[in-house]
Parts: sequence; structure tokens; C-alpha cells
Amino acid sequence: MNKTRLLRLATDLIVIFLGLFSLASPFFFTQARDIDNQAASFPIMVSLIILLCLMIVIFEAQTSLLDSKMIAFLAVLTAINAGLRFLENAIPGPGGFSPTFFLIILSGYYFGSRIGFLVGAMTLLVSAIITGGIGPWLPGQMITAGWVGQSAILVTFLVNKFAWRGKPVEIILLSGFGGLWGILYGAIMNLWFWPFLGAGAGQTFSHNAGALENLQRYVAYYLATSLVWDIMRAVGNILIISIMTASVLKVFQRFKQRFSFQIQGEPEQ
Amino acid sequence: MIHSIVWMIWLLVVMVFILSTRNPVYLSLILVGLLFFGQSLAREKKIKNWVLANLRFLLAMILLSTLINGIFSHVGQTILFTIPQKWPLIGGNFTLDSLVYGAINGLVIGALYILFNVINLALSIKQLTWLIPRAFHPIAMMVTISLTFFPSIQKRAREIKEAQMIRGNPMKKIVDWLPIFIPLLVTSLENAFLLAESMTTRGFHQPIDLKAPGNLVSLILGAFFVFSGWILQLFNYPRYLSAPLFVIGFGLILLTLMTVGKHSKITRYHLEEWKPMDIMITIVIVLYLVLFIYLRWADGMPSLNYSPYPYLSIPTLQTIGLLFCILPFVPMIIKRHD
Repeated sequence: MNKTRLLRLATDLIVIFLGLFSLASPFFFTQARDIDNQAASFPIMVSLIILLCLMIVIFEAQTSLLDSKMIAFLAVLTAINAGLRFLENAIPGPGGFSPTFFLIILSGYYFGSRIGFLVGAMTLLVSAIITGGIGPWLPGQMITAGWVGQSAILVTFLVNKFAWRGKPVEIILLSGFGGLWGILYGAIMNLWFWPFLGAGAGQTFSHNAGALENLQRYVAYYLATSLVWDIMRAVGNILIISIMTASVLKVFQRFKQRFSFQIQGEPEQ
Repeated sequence: MIHSIVWMIWLLVVMVFILSTRNPVYLSLILVGLLFFGQSLAREKKIKNWVLANLRFLLAMILLSTLINGIFSHVGQTILFTIPQKWPLIGGNFTLDSLVYGAINGLVIGALYILFNVINLALSIKQLTWLIPRAFHPIAMMVTISLTFFPSIQKRAREIKEAQMIRGNPMKKIVDWLPIFIPLLVTSLENAFLLAESMTTRGFHQPIDLKAPGNLVSLILGAFFVFSGWILQLFNYPRYLSAPLFVIGFGLILLTLMTVGKHSKITRYHLEEWKPMDIMITIVIVLYLVLFIYLRWADGMPSLNYSPYPYLSIPTLQTIGLLFCILPFVPMIIKRHD
């Protein structure tokens, strides 16, 4: 493993640890559930730490990945995907359904984890700028969408290992992966304000409860408020990925070759 | 137009106040101020029904939070009815106190949401991209290109859709969108290719040398310091332990970004200027913040808190709390007098 890859892996592990640990801290720390004491600032502090995590990943990507080709490529892909968010109303689908995830997943699957992460995070940023959706929820949305694209590399690994590329199982795997993230995205996104919405002295998320009991309470809360919505998203992801994947991957294949030109010579100092 | 940095300072101070109080009267006053201010900005931008849309969200948030707290929480003396204890998780007393507590939570979340909606209205897209630190200029460039391409991609999508409909595509199922999406993807990536070529010919072709990994390591260290400070704060360790960690963490991050930013050779056009109005607003808001911090450190701050437990009571009001409720109006008042 070369130095760049090692650095990238270390960065990813640190960011995943910091991000997930911050989001999941109310399961372990009773103090994070005490609204009169700390939990009032909990969503803001978690957003801040996630923002720092995003900065770290983006900074690392800048040093190793973002040349002119990548900037142009990612910018356009992000613009298309941000545009898809506006199609949410045009494409027939129930509430919760979102056509943005499939491009994030396919980018991560075909071009690698870092590009997948950037497409996910940047899509959310650009669409938030356009729609006026900037708020403390944005870093959480960005990093989770980034993780959606980044984790698609797991499917690439499986497909390459078992030589499934071009076979129906490839699309089935990707669709299942999209379905899984449809649910996971909602479950992770709920975490940043979870202790806030139902906390308080000995309340929804009990002070004295252990991690397991709090997890049960969170699941109940999630089932009551988000599951139906997220199921729609999961079904939407499965449908779109199963319909679009073959054609989109062909386009990606064509442009990957075209974008692989190398520049000879050094810039003038 | 108010300077984007001034907006950020205003946002920070109002947010600090919202998160410091759980008094429903203060929260309601802040909300009225934000809605009033937002409406005046929406009118300038000719946006209709801004207040209505935000009120709808606020009410939904209060309702949801009230119900969730009422169902799951069984603390309080004013019992409305009792759910059988054997019902898992929700069994127990359904109390008015927990409903009030939930409603206050909804008010805080609603206030935060509306505060950011006001900021989204106040800042132009150009100002938002300016706020991306100079150290991240490739990302800022990517965002700018995305925003520039966005309208043309939308236009092209409409044109392809119209062409497809003329050919008899009913556009009713997801599969009907494939003949729109693929040409859109191909033509857009074709444009990206042309853009990449022209950027390359103009000399912008290498990933920027940010002297990694040194800078990356110091960013990671900075994040760890902030994270550790937060954990200590969660465990109620004394402030003299957590505060230095925050200072070191943020200092390290700021220093790294400034160092990297200095190495980025960029030209900025249409720089924002600090006008007397901006300076005036900043002074007033910073005075508010200084007063707030001073009163907190000197323990002279009256409690901005309110709890419906163990018994429901009328929230008390303090002059200092009411003074902070004027905060949302500060930019509006000074702007009007300018």
C-alpha cells in the first residue's frame, strides 16, 4: 500500500470514528441526554464536529485527487444530481422517494470511494445553496450522503472478487445496497437531533438506561416517525438503480476513458 | 447589502441565545422577531408565503415534539390519563407537564430552523460561495462551476423532456425517464470534458500542493482537540480544562487554513466592502455577546431557563432576557436608519 493510500485510509477511519461516535454518543453518555445541562447544544456541537470531519476528508481529497479534470467532472456530476433533487416532484414517486442517491452510489461504485464521497457531499451542498437549505442539519446530510457514495466501494470489491461485472447479480447487489442506504440514511440523519426531541429529566431517552435500552427507545422513535418515509426512499432507490444502472455504467465507462488523458510537462513557475 | 461576515456573527449570537433559553416566552418573542425580519427580506426578494411556510413547519415541529414527549415520557404531576404499564415503552402516565416540555423542545428546533431560513434569505449565492475558506479553493471552484452549470442543465433537461413528449413518451413511470436522463448525462459530461480541457490549457491542471501530510495532520489534531473538549464538557469537567482544548483545537484549524490559504494563488473580483452600517451592526451584536459572556462568567445572568417539572408554572421574565429578544431586529433596525 503506497503512502497516499495509507493516508487516505487513516483519514477515512478517523473521520468515520469521530462522526459516528459524535452522533451515537447519546447512547453511551447520559450527559448528552440531559437537555437542561448539555443536550441543548448537542445538535450544534455534533454538527460542528461533523463539519470538521468533512473539512478533513475534503482537504485530503484536494491534495491527491482534485486536478482540473476531476474538478470539471465532479462539478458537472454534482450539478446533474442537484438537479435531480428538483425532479423529486416531477418523477412519479411517493413521499420520501428521492432520485439523488442512485448517481451517488453508481459514482462510488464505478469511480472509487473518494469520488463517491465527494459526489454525495457536494450534491447536498450545492442543492442546499440553490434551495436555501443551509442549516445545522447540512453537515450531517453531507457526510451521510458522502458515506453512501464512499461505501459503494464494498459492492465494487464483491463484484470484482466474484467476477460479477456485467451480470444481473451486479444490478441486484447495487439495488439492494441502494435499498439498505434508503433506510440507513434516515436512521443516521435522525441521530443529530434525537436526544433533543425527546430528552429531559428522566424522559424519553432515560438517564439511567443503558446503551441497549436507549437503542430500543430510539428504534421505537424511529419506527413511529421515520420508517414509512424511509421505506419509500429505499423502494425508490431499488427501482431507479435496477432501471438505470446498465445505461449509466456504459456512459461512465465511456467518459472514464476520455477523462484519463495525462498532461505532459510542468507549469511555468 | 449587509456584509456576509456580519450575517455570520449575527447568526452565531442569536443561535447562542436560542440554545441558552428554554423559556417559552423568550423563544416565542425571538420567533416573532425572526418571522418579522424574514418576511421583510422575503418581500425584498418577492418571495410569497414565506411566513406561512415557516409557520407550517414550526407548528408541525411543535406538534411532533409534543406528541413524542407525551407518549414516551411519563414524568410530571398533572396526569391527563394513564396508558397500561404492560404496554412496552409507552406504558405509564400521560402528563400535561411532558406535553409542555415537548412543545418547548419543538419551539427551540423551530427557532433554529427559522433562524437559518432567514440567513438563507439574507445571503446571496455569491456571498455563500465567498464564505468557503480560501484553503478550499478547488472545492469553491467546483461549487461555482456546479452553480453555473445548474441552470443550463435544467434547461437542457426541459428541452429533452419536451422532445420526448412530442415523440409520445408518457412520462408516467420511472422507466420513462431513462431517455431523458442518459442524453442529459452524456451532453453534460461532454461539457465537463471541454471545460477540463480549457482549464488544462490555462494552466490549472494539478492537484494543489498543500504541503500534505503536515497540514492534514494538524487539521486532524485540531478536530481531536475540539472533540476532546466537547467530551470533557459533556462530563461536566471544569471549564478551565475544556476551554483550552477548544481554543487549541480551533486555533490549530484556523492557523492551518490560513497557512494553506496563503499558498493558494487566486484572484477575487467584486470584493465585499465594509460599510458604516456593517460596522455599526457588528459593534451592537458583539456588545450583546460580550454582555452575555460577562454575565455568564460572573454568575450575574438571571436564569433563562424554564421547566414544567415537577409542577406547571407561569414562566418568569427578566429585563436582560427581554433585551436579548430584540437581537433578531438589530440588523433590520440599523439597516432602516442607514
